[in-house]
Amino acid sequence: MPVLKQLIDVITMKSDRPMRRLLAYYGILAVVVLVVAYFFPGVVQRIGAKGLGDASEGPTVLADALSASATSAVGFGPGGLGDVAITTVLILLGALALMLPVTWVYMSARPIPGHNQTVVQTLIILPLVVAGIVYIVQNSLALAFSLAGVVGAVRFRTTLRDTRDLVYIFLAIVVGFAAGVQSLAVGALISIVFNLVLFFTWRYDYGRNVLTPTASSQWAGPLHTLASPTGDHEIPDRDLVLSLTPEKAGALAARFERVRDTLGKKKKKPRYTSVLTVTTDNVPEAQKQVEEVLDRMTKRWDLDEVVTNTGKPSEIYYLTRLKKSIPRDVLLTAIHENADGIIASADLETGEPFDDKAATKG
Amino acid sequence: MTTARSFLLLVSLVPCVAACRRTSEARAAQVRAAEATRRQELTHRIAIADADPAKALPVAMWLMPSELREISGLALTPRGTVLTHDDNVARIYEIDPKTGILLKAFSLSGGRKGDFEAITIAGNDIYLLESKGKIFRFKEGADGEKVSYSGYDTGLGKECEFESMAYEADSSRLLLVCKKFLTKKAPHELLIYRLPLPLGDRSTISTLRVPIADVIGSNKWKNFHPSDINIDPITKNYVIIASREKGLVVVTPDGDVVRSEPLPGDHRQAEGVSITPDSILIVSDEANVKPAAITLYRWRQ
Repeated sequence: MPVLKQLIDVITMKSDRPMRRLLAYYGILAVVVLVVAYFFPGVVQRIGAKGLGDASEGPTVLADALSASATSAVGFGPGGLGDVAITTVLILLGALALMLPVTWVYMSARPIPGHNQTVVQTLIILPLVVAGIVYIVQNSLALAFSLAGVVGAVRFRTTLRDTRDLVYIFLAIVVGFAAGVQSLAVGALISIVFNLVLFFTWRYDYGRNVLTPTASSQWAGPLHTLASPTGDHEIPDRDLVLSLTPEKAGALAARFERVRDTLGKKKKKPRYTSVLTVTTDNVPEAQKQVEEVLDRMTKRWDLDEVVTNTGKPSEIYYLTRLKKSIPRDVLLTAIHENADGIIASADLETGEPFDDKAATKG
Repeated sequence: MTTARSFLLLVSLVPCVAACRRTSEARAAQVRAAEATRRQELTHRIAIADADPAKALPVAMWLMPSELREISGLALTPRGTVLTHDDNVARIYEIDPKTGILLKAFSLSGGRKGDFEAITIAGNDIYLLESKGKIFRFKEGADGEKVSYSGYDTGLGKECEFESMAYEADSSRLLLVCKKFLTKKAPHELLIYRLPLPLGDRSTISTLRVPIADVIGSNKWKNFHPSDINIDPITKNYVIIASREKGLVVVTPDGDVVRSEPLPGDHRQAEGVSITPDSILIVSDEANVKPAAITLYRWRQ
């Protein structure tokens, strides 16, 4: 593994971007497969795309069932014992090679920090078991029924914390099936496409609901609390708290502290009432364009923080107080128009002081 | 381990792997050696079989690769090799029955799948039969080639399920034997359809009917379900085998039963039959309890 890591480091020039590292891994895997295919064409045919079955193998000496010579050593399933052993090992190694990057994606490209170690290990082990089962069953209906009977006797039920984990489990089963039927080429394509699609959806926060707390808006709640004239400090969203690592919690606390300083003391009119979040790949240019708009449309603004991300757009946070005549949508439209093509997204989380009395009356 | 060392390790592995490569020359040498040895062995076994004709000993038995688990029909080429195919995929394999060497394989274009049951050769054309009576015509291809084909529906699929087809060169006709009657009232007879070549005119199809009692003869069979037919190259009689009954019947082109007997040896699922001009009976068996195989016997008239 260290050798593989070093190779990936060299290819990606020690980049931390997960997409580059993933592509580097697949590149190395492709080179290994090409080398093996060149030197042992039969091996790749045997485990890669057996279902296609059209590759020319040239003349082949068939086993002689009447002779006691070495060429007659046949008797188990689809081929000789040696063949079966080699094929099994290749199938398992192939499944392992395809599932390793899936576990990396699982561990890194998650909307919330933290992952389930059990799932990671399952993703490695499950396809091996599935491949073994499918390879044994193959075309035998009798074995398939026997397997159904055995599996029926074993109950395994578990609840996954994140429903997305289930998709990974399905992928592990698919790769295991592909390996078992000796069509790893299909499994490889499925796993590559799966990883890439998953990365893109993670990178661009695809399908994000504005009502759902996300990385950019997770602290809108706490901001409300901080801006509250009563100063009652509520516990922020429970899931958010649970998902934070100590380092992240520390960083968030520091940010709250800064915001508190900026907003002013309790029961005073807050200096800022909203947080503008901008995501971009070009931070300096985006700042320039956004700040032009802020100068025009806000009473005051202040750059709060720039979070530089690897593998996905960086985030810029501004504390703002809008002019009364400027609604939220107008500001966002102006930002989008002014910084067209430079920013990936812009969002304004308003933190109007919570009116306790009004809420009680309501 | 440093990056440079890792690279050196990988680079040094390449020649090691290369040394293990099985070259085409090595493969060809192995094939030639096996061919020479097996021809000698076969001659020796034929001599033993001829010395004791009553025993009907197999003179060779070649186990098929996994792609031919469901081996079906057999067709003898003018070169003395046989063409065979898998039941589910239109992929044709050429095997030298006397040396047990799989020479080449080619497929119908488009990876056509179906329920292929029999194959025969008529001049330069090869015909492949589906169980529902559809016939595919194509030319022989090179190793790994995908050949184009044309299909012809005989229209007989409503009456019969087929597993047997042979080419009768003397009359230039294809022979199709009905395995199972699909009509409500099944006649108690062995029905052979004769289709003149070129195919196309259904009105020219004629039949040969042999009473099933004559076919069964003194055997204990209740019926006879043909799984393949071929022509004896010397007598020109029809040699028909039945997988279910494990039987072999020889019928003259006029419909007289010459022989009716159990198949020699132990055949769990005999799907193809062929006879060489030097009197070797070849029987192909689909994988069942035993692996798929081609078995050779001495053929006596």
